Amino acid sequence: MGGKVTCTLGEVKQRADFIVYWGGNPAECHPRHFTKYTIMQKSKFLPRGRKDRTMVLVDIRETKSAKAADIFLQVKPGKDFELITILRALIKDQHVGDEQIAETGMTRAGLDDLVHRMKSCKFGVFFFGMGLSMTRGKHMNSAALLTLAAEMNAFTKFVAMPMRGHGNVTGADVIMRWQTGYPFGITFNRGYPRYNPGEFSTVDVLVRGDCDAAFIIGADPGATMPQPAIDHLARIPTICLDPHVTHTSRLARVHITTAAQGISAPGTAYRMDELPLPLKPALKSPYPSDEEVVRRINEAIAKKPFWLPDGSQPQVVTAIG
Amino acid sequence: MPITLYLKQAPAVPLETEVLSPDVISQLSNTEIRKLTVYHGKRQVPLEEFFDVDGEHSDELIIHGDLNKVRWIGRAMSKGSITVHGKVGMHLGAYMKGGRIEVHGDASDWIGAEMKNGFIHVHGNAGGQIGAAYRGSLAGMKNGTIIVDGSAGLEVGMRMRRGTIVLGGIARDFTGLQMKGGTIILMSGAEIRTGAWMNRGTIISLKPLQMMPTFAYASDFNPMFLNVYAKQLKTYGVTLPYAASAGTYQRFAGDLSVPGKGEILVWQPA
Repeated sequence: MGGKVTCTLGEVKQRADFIVYWGGNPAECHPRHFTKYTIMQKSKFLPRGRKDRTMVLVDIRETKSAKAADIFLQVKPGKDFELITILRALIKDQHVGDEQIAETGMTRAGLDDLVHRMKSCKFGVFFFGMGLSMTRGKHMNSAALLTLAAEMNAFTKFVAMPMRGHGNVTGADVIMRWQTGYPFGITFNRGYPRYNPGEFSTVDVLVRGDCDAAFIIGADPGATMPQPAIDHLARIPTICLDPHVTHTSRLARVHITTAAQGISAPGTAYRMDELPLPLKPALKSPYPSDEEVVRRINEAIAKKPFWLPDGSQPQVVTAIG
Repeated sequence: MPITLYLKQAPAVPLETEVLSPDVISQLSNTEIRKLTVYHGKRQVPLEEFFDVDGEHSDELIIHGDLNKVRWIGRAMSKGSITVHGKVGMHLGAYMKGGRIEVHGDASDWIGAEMKNGFIHVHGNAGGQIGAAYRGSLAGMKNGTIIVDGSAGLEVGMRMRRGTIVLGGIARDFTGLQMKGGTIILMSGAEIRTGAWMNRGTIISLKPLQMMPTFAYASDFNPMFLNVYAKQLKTYGVTLPYAASAGTYQRFAGDLSVPGKGEILVWQPA
């Protein structure tokens, strides 16, 4: 396991002749994805557009996206990790029993056909959604698909890309990554970044009650996180920056109304393939932008004395010795 | 005369105390121990702010209190012993090279992570990632023994290279994930995806397991090496059946997706 094999949506549009959507419903959740980037576009390498491309949908139920797919594979709920692991075995010509394949809701003929198509395509893409990354197994389900994509490169070009949800999650990941080397789940308490998802990731910190203040920008954990996390947010001083009044701002001590990014405040958004796109505001807002609020908070903090005793430095914990 | 520490007040945020290790403390006087720096969140505070310290110049540590927010106890220790009476937080005995840790209570995630040698015994339940490799690291525990009497969480023994983990209670998903060697003994079985992506190593379960589809049944047998294991584990109070008269082990080989040479042995009483 390691790394993500990826590309931009431009490459997908120009070259991808085999597209798999796994655990997502792009027809309803990303309605412009098909027409702008994936199956409908004609290109130099795929001049007949839709006819030159194959689309596979893997999901636990037949959603609206199934109508657009050439092949629909209905996986049993909670069996995604098993199915991907079987595929990893099959591409290496390992024998997996019919009974074991049937447990995931698949047939041998169906999987043989899928593996043949995967190996014989010119450029394959996996797009995976919350149906994969938010069900039992969580990060390991995503890791399984990323590993499968990496291993498929022994046969042909293959990439994997997550279909992100609302908000600019990709942007947050990208910024954290180039600033610290890690995308999320980072602590700075020793003065330098340390990474350990599960220990430092937001939901785990909140559920365990490991923080004594929270600062929330561009997210609504009050609506999405488990109840113990929400209870802890209500217990501690929570500051919320949002253009609207959200569930989080109802339980926060402070809510600062900011201008909506891309509508009344400029900025940069990262597309799901990590491409930065500038946002030009169409309207004016009486409210400050998120950036300005954070800058002013930073200026106020800079006036306070340094948080470590005079002359001392944070000590490194990770050096083995 | 061991050094005894009593937690005075529960930390509000995680307290990082990698100095609570015999390697650091054994040569120090009582005053020096009290002045050791610990991290309360981002703040550096002296140890005495959170602990009462009795005794000095010893490589035996006894810690009392609800330490579930106290992390990194016994980090990289190579000698002596630590006994905890109460709950204990994450990364207990991570990177340890020798000595003993005993916990009379529950432990949290990452105990014995990437340990090289030594012995950890948790009498209560433990969290996930026992003896595991840290994120981005290739190998977890390289030797040593971890015994948990109670249940355990996710990814026990993830990417472990050598050593032994014994779990008295049930383990959750992904036990022995990407294992490269060593032994995990499950006295009460595990939830799903046991041994996923394993390369090498042995998982022994005394209760039936739900197998990954990429494991293949090989045979029923009574491996010779289990006699030796059983004798060794007897000294820790763990009874591992091995006699052919009592039953056999079903052997499953996998994981085919790697493809790996790991084995899962499931006990079938006669």
